[in-house]
Amino acid sequence: MSALLEVTDATMRFGGLVALNAVSFSIGRGEVLAVIGPNGAGKSTLFNVVTGVYRPTSGQVRFDDADITGRPSHEVVARGIGRTFQTSRLFSDLSVLDNVIIGMHTRTKTGVLGALFLPGASRREMAACVETAEILLKASSGDLFEQRHRPAGTLAQADRRRLEIARALASEPKLLLLDEPSVGMDEVETDALIADISRLRTERPELSVILIEHDMRVVEAFPDQVMCVDYGSKIAEGDFARVKSDPRVQEAYLGKAAVHA
Amino acid sequence: MGARMSSEMPGFGLATVLAVGIQILGAAFLYLILKAEGGWQVIGLLALLAAGFYLIEKRPQITEYVTASFSRVPVVALVTAVIVVVLFPFAVGNNTYVLHLLIVAQLYAVLALALNFQLGSANIPNFATGASYGIGAYVSALLAINFGLSFWLTLPAAAIAATLFGFLIGIPSMRTRDTYLALVTIAFGVVVQQLLNNFDWTGGPNGLVGIPAPSLFGHSFADPLVVFGWKLPSQANFYYLSALLVVVAIITAHRLHSSRIGLAWNALRADEIAARAQGINVAWFKVLAFAVDAFLAAFAGTIYAFYVSYISPDNFTFLVSVTIMTMVIVGGMDNIFGVIVGAFLLTILPEKLRAFSDYRLLFFGIVIIGFLMIRPQGLFPQRIRSYGESR
Ligand SMILES: Nc1ncnc2c1ncn2[C@@H]1O[C@H](COP(=O)(O)OP(=O)(O)OP(=O)(O)O)[C@@H](O)[C@H]1O
Ligand SMILES: [Mg+2]
Repeated sequence: MSALLEVTDATMRFGGLVALNAVSFSIGRGEVLAVIGPNGAGKSTLFNVVTGVYRPTSGQVRFDDADITGRPSHEVVARGIGRTFQTSRLFSDLSVLDNVIIGMHTRTKTGVLGALFLPGASRREMAACVETAEILLKASSGDLFEQRHRPAGTLAQADRRRLEIARALASEPKLLLLDEPSVGMDEVETDALIADISRLRTERPELSVILIEHDMRVVEAFPDQVMCVDYGSKIAEGDFARVKSDPRVQEAYLGKAAVHA
Repeated sequence: MGARMSSEMPGFGLATVLAVGIQILGAAFLYLILKAEGGWQVIGLLALLAAGFYLIEKRPQITEYVTASFSRVPVVALVTAVIVVVLFPFAVGNNTYVLHLLIVAQLYAVLALALNFQLGSANIPNFATGASYGIGAYVSALLAINFGLSFWLTLPAAAIAATLFGFLIGIPSMRTRDTYLALVTIAFGVVVQQLLNNFDWTGGPNGLVGIPAPSLFGHSFADPLVVFGWKLPSQANFYYLSALLVVVAIITAHRLHSSRIGLAWNALRADEIAARAQGINVAWFKVLAFAVDAFLAAFAGTIYAFYVSYISPDNFTFLVSVTIMTMVIVGGMDNIFGVIVGAFLLTILPEKLRAFSDYRLLFFGIVIIGFLMIRPQGLFPQRIRSYGESR
């Protein structure tokens, strides 16, 4: 069977700046890929190209045997790619529960006419969403579940991250993109995050995860497939040990950024 | 202390007393302000209202407790509301001016609820609600005058025409945002008004006259309404009709708000990029908000046209759209009850401030600013959805 996601020669230019330079990679079902690279390397841009936030200047994105290059974000989600953002983008004036329910948008279908003339069906749909959302939140963390009726904007940083992941999972994705999930977390929280992702993998063996990370402890926990990007180009690929010892990576990455390993 | 009080559920008895009592008090207040004469009475009542809002601003538990009471005894609350609305014209009696104010306030409540889908739920500025209102009025009036269509048939026709207009203004919203979008809607509103002014078949600046009064089961709405020997002026017909429309608007608003549509609007209001990343087709949902707004506004326009039996482009100016917007902002964005209160307050207040003659607008401005200072989020701000849980 072919790869779940296959990116071929993706190039993204912003004016004169080449944020992505002919990057190719793929990920299979149930696999975890860690993407590392110094600040401004183009990692988030890669996610934005995959999820249709940007249309790549050239190159192709294939997902689940379909060409999704430049398809609008909402369609990409419906096809099965969920994501989180580097700086959290929660709906802060809505409750924690509503954030997760909104994540189910592509799995629900009531339209305006349905909501108006079939209120019973609409209510049942929402009730089912509440139930699923509560299960997702409970699985994410009891703490988050307890706070489900509070506005998402009042959450602490670690809980915001968890909520973003829960919201992304609510769309029942086949592929989950996490953009620096450990940002703003202390050591204990980072360990919890690693545990969360590991648990997710055992619960959903079919789920593939791409993880952008600066924190090497997280990358070490998922060492099988690592890819390093620098100045928009892929400079190394392989398992963590191999990527870490690649001289180009050492030069580009370990030389510049602080590594807590 | 405070926290404990808000977590306590009101008992059945107390909840009933509150749900009934507060509605009667509210109706009494409305009655008093409608009947108030002279500057001092109005000022006194406004001061009372301001004090009330100051109190619930300082003690949010009060609102929580009252809301909990209403949801504890929904049937009692509903029956009380129906009785109050039905009996109100009997209390007003032969005062046709007060009835007129109530009709206009109710129509504005519908318009404000319509705009609330955009401004409140999705935070899309739309200065063309007045134009949709006008399109509804003109389409139904033209159909009635030229083709003799009955009021009841013009209602859906006007709604469909205005909805198409809504889709039309919605299209630029896919590409423009915020201030630019506001400008686009202003332009649409002005264009509609200019067209109404310049076409021959719309009567030009003179508008349309002689829109026939609707009738129902042989009873003409131009005749007085006789109920069990009580005789109410003919305006009462339109009072009940517009009250019915308010109910329709509330049900529409409530159903959309509590469905995934309302959530999608709220999501794109908070963060468009994040909304897209949840699979929401942001452009489509924006257009949808325009269409729903125009649809409801057209109903209000139709009733207005048949009520006054004479319409002209002056009834649907840019200023009307601004007024509707102010109602939503002052009343409370994305809060159905708040928006209705805003509509009533802003309809009745300018009339009652006539006592101040030349200083009327100045005073009106001061009152609005005053209320916004007491309640910066609107009189009744948006609430977190509860999903029928009591915790
Ligand atoms: N919309 C945009 N317009 C112009 N330039 C952009 C845009 N988005 C990203 N860039 C540029 O592209 C380059 C790559 O940015 P990107 O956010 O992908 O880096 P990153 O690897 O995620 O970095 P970090 O680790 O800091 O998050 C940067 O130089 C950035 O300034
Ligand atoms: Mg980044």
